[in-house]
Amino acid sequence: MILVVLDHDGNRLRKGSLEALTRARALAEALGTQVAGVLLSEGQAPVEEARGHVATLFVAELGPYTPEKWAAGVLAAAKDGVKAIVAPSSRQSRTYLGRVAYALKAGLLEDTLESWAEGGMVYATRYAYLNRVTQKVRAALPVVLTVKPNTTPLAEPLEQAGQVVALPIPPVPTVEVLERVQEEKKGVSLTEANVVVTGGRGMGGPEAFKQVEELAALLGGAVGATRAVVDAGWRPYSEQVGQTGKTVQPSLYIALGVSGAVQHLAGMNKSKYIVAVNKDPEAPIFKHADYGIVGDVHQVLPALIQAVKKLKD
Amino acid sequence: MKFVAVIRQVPDGESRLRIQGDRVDLSGATLILDQMDEYGVEEALRLKEKHGGEAIVVGFGPERTEEAIRTALAMGMDRGIHVVYEGYADPVTVAEALAPILKEESPTLILTGGQQADWDSQALGGALAEALGVPVVAWTTALELEGETARAKHDLDEGAEWVRVRLPAVFTTQQGLNEPRYPTLPGIMKAKKKEIRKVQVSLSPKVELLSEEIQEKARLGKVLDGKDPAQAAEELVRLLHEEAKVI
Repeated sequence: MILVVLDHDGNRLRKGSLEALTRARALAEALGTQVAGVLLSEGQAPVEEARGHVATLFVAELGPYTPEKWAAGVLAAAKDGVKAIVAPSSRQSRTYLGRVAYALKAGLLEDTLESWAEGGMVYATRYAYLNRVTQKVRAALPVVLTVKPNTTPLAEPLEQAGQVVALPIPPVPTVEVLERVQEEKKGVSLTEANVVVTGGRGMGGPEAFKQVEELAALLGGAVGATRAVVDAGWRPYSEQVGQTGKTVQPSLYIALGVSGAVQHLAGMNKSKYIVAVNKDPEAPIFKHADYGIVGDVHQVLPALIQAVKKLKD
Repeated sequence: MKFVAVIRQVPDGESRLRIQGDRVDLSGATLILDQMDEYGVEEALRLKEKHGGEAIVVGFGPERTEEAIRTALAMGMDRGIHVVYEGYADPVTVAEALAPILKEESPTLILTGGQQADWDSQALGGALAEALGVPVVAWTTALELEGETARAKHDLDEGAEWVRVRLPAVFTTQQGLNEPRYPTLPGIMKAKKKEIRKVQVSLSPKVELLSEEIQEKARLGKVLDGKDPAQAAEELVRLLHEEAKVI
């Protein structure tokens, strides 16, 4: 069996789950086995949508996320033996699957760009050295493999919906969640977004991010920020792109008032197209940009919003 | 109380990397204590200063890792343990190598970086916690001890939360947890005399590294003059729509 972890937001499967499904199906075909899914739920989960994609769907009701409960859910679904566990890559999955991989003594292939099976081994490529180096790695079965967002075509549903199997999970020693601090979240998640619009110190202050949000929303994208911006408290840490923040690989990355420090480049240098707007023509970001405008971001950004609106009409 | 920081030595993010024979060649790179692990060292020191006890640095990696262990000792850690291993090792294998040493030390808590700056793994904290049979709190931004438990704030994929966890537990760190101190000159002198216990291990990594290469994406570098913002913006949007076809 190949077990795919179907990540979701309570209502819908995340896009990353459909990428993970595509990878899982390819591995299942090469290894001559079936795909089963597991849906881990905090109370609400898209069971109908999920069973449309797999012959067998394990569902575990676990309450608030903790790495211990999520690991227990995956291990329970995998208890009859798995060749591979495939999951969309996220900070959470890369934490609890560390537990799972250790428990199964499995090779952990993290945040993979591609994966394939050959001669009973699973091969993958992935970034290392802060996104600067591409590694090719392999591991013997079983493997635990996470799929980097925006690397893989999305899976289509099966012709027939699969059976649902409820998984009882006994309590495990874990952390107690006291309080969720919900940051105001608009639109798509940063790591899965096809378009990311990032503001840097050059934005001048938190007010200027209203227009960054506006441009991101117009393009169906997410807002990012640099370290200087989150350190100044203009934006939440969850929006930080870079070495100490999140790594993104969208089709389009727009950097506004971003100088292009190495630490920032580490989080976005694999984007398909990079656009930079900066008043300093010598800013390092231009060396990494496909398109750029040398100009005052406070004038260029409103003009960009207008131009995109015009294109949409 | 006993606070352990697990660390590794990695190339500075600004160092130029070279490829030699299918592998990253670090001979010309500046090597440092992984900045994510450094937050763990700082937090262990702060906890020790507040609650008393001992702060121990456990380093994993080749002989040169001793330099990073010395840096942590110069910051104020009491003693070091160096698990000596040359070459790539996946997080499950590293956790297997460290588990017996950590069990023997029986610490109050263990800190390690949220992501490694060389192998880009985020899984060591989770794997270590599983190896020790304790909970893990990932991407911690605040940590306080309360009796036999800790109260911590940490990031989720979306948003953040406060949790309470019974100790011992593993915490992975990130920016925002603290501001690491610089080693002082007296600290550096003292560090030279502090104990570093060497533990030689022979491991069979579960993940085999086959090759490494640097794939620089060639960028178009089309830069427009923004003296007329409206005109430049329209031209940029046209290029993104017609040439790049991304909007």
